[in-house]
Amino acid sequence: MRKSAFLLVLLLGASAADAQLPFLRKRDNQPQQPVLQGIDALRADFAAQAGGTTVYYGAESVILGAPARAALTLQANWLRKHPEVVVRIEGYGDGLDTRDRALAVGARRAEEARSYLLLLGVPAAQVSTSSWGKERPGLGRAVTVLVR
Amino acid sequence: MMLGANSDIYVAPATGGIPQRLTTSPGIDTDPSFSPDGSKIVFESDRGGSQQLYVMNADGTGQRRISFGGGWYAAPVWSPDGGLIAFTRRGQDGRRIGIIKPDGSDEKVLTTGPGDEGPTWAASSREVLFQRTGAGGRNGLYRVALDGSEPRQLTTPQDGSDPDWSGVMD
Repeated sequence: MRKSAFLLVLLLGASAADAQLPFLRKRDNQPQQPVLQGIDALRADFAAQAGGTTVYYGAESVILGAPARAALTLQANWLRKHPEVVVRIEGYGDGLDTRDRALAVGARRAEEARSYLLLLGVPAAQVSTSSWGKERPGLGRAVTVLVR
Repeated sequence: MMLGANSDIYVAPATGGIPQRLTTSPGIDTDPSFSPDGSKIVFESDRGGSQQLYVMNADGTGQRRISFGGGWYAAPVWSPDGGLIAFTRRGQDGRRIGIIKPDGSDEKVLTTGPGDEGPTWAASSREVLFQRTGAGGRNGLYRVALDGSEPRQLTTPQDGSDPDWSGVMD
């Protein structure tokens, strides 16, 4: 008889402690925000600090316009502060281009973006390029992807 | 071949070895196709500001533009009999398939578009197979004769693109 009373008190005690620490319950009921680590955290920080990972080109154009240069300047600032991070710039062709042309245009767009980063002091070994051609059609653009 | 993203035309021995560079323009040179006798190469280049067709000797000499019909020209393919070059022409009204003689004369548009590209020749040199992108972005294969008749769809169970006709006589 005494034993069951003791158990009852213990349970009540636990319940009271719960009431005093509401954050414990809150944590149980709501999904936790995932904490980004490693490359994912770096990607999020790069995208936030550089205002995005993409630079856009005009239709048929492989020339960097003023908005594209501004975007790359922010990217270069971040990359110079993180020399341990290696990135790949992926160029896209225009959807209406023929296959070989789209591949060549995507490569040129990626290379133009890379050259501008190098001009702003980013080490050459930190930046590689590739082209998607028309395999992933979309607006003419080059996207900087953090590799490691 | 791309070096520093400036596409140029190179030729390499079929057995391997060091490629020889044939074009040196700062523009994008791509999509080369040999004449059947191996003496000439047709390719596309934007060296003049827009994509056009150029023909050169197989050693890179004698480069000259052959397309002057307006719009952009791309993806040239030399016919097996050597007499014609098929191409994709882009204009305000879309992409169409056409043919032209290697000296730039007698250009003729074979299809109405607006989403046609990627021609490849029948061994007979009398028909061209190509890819048509229809409404909704679905790709299909079509064949068209040089006599101006309507293209006919080559029915396939799935979408089809980037055709290449074998060299066997049909």
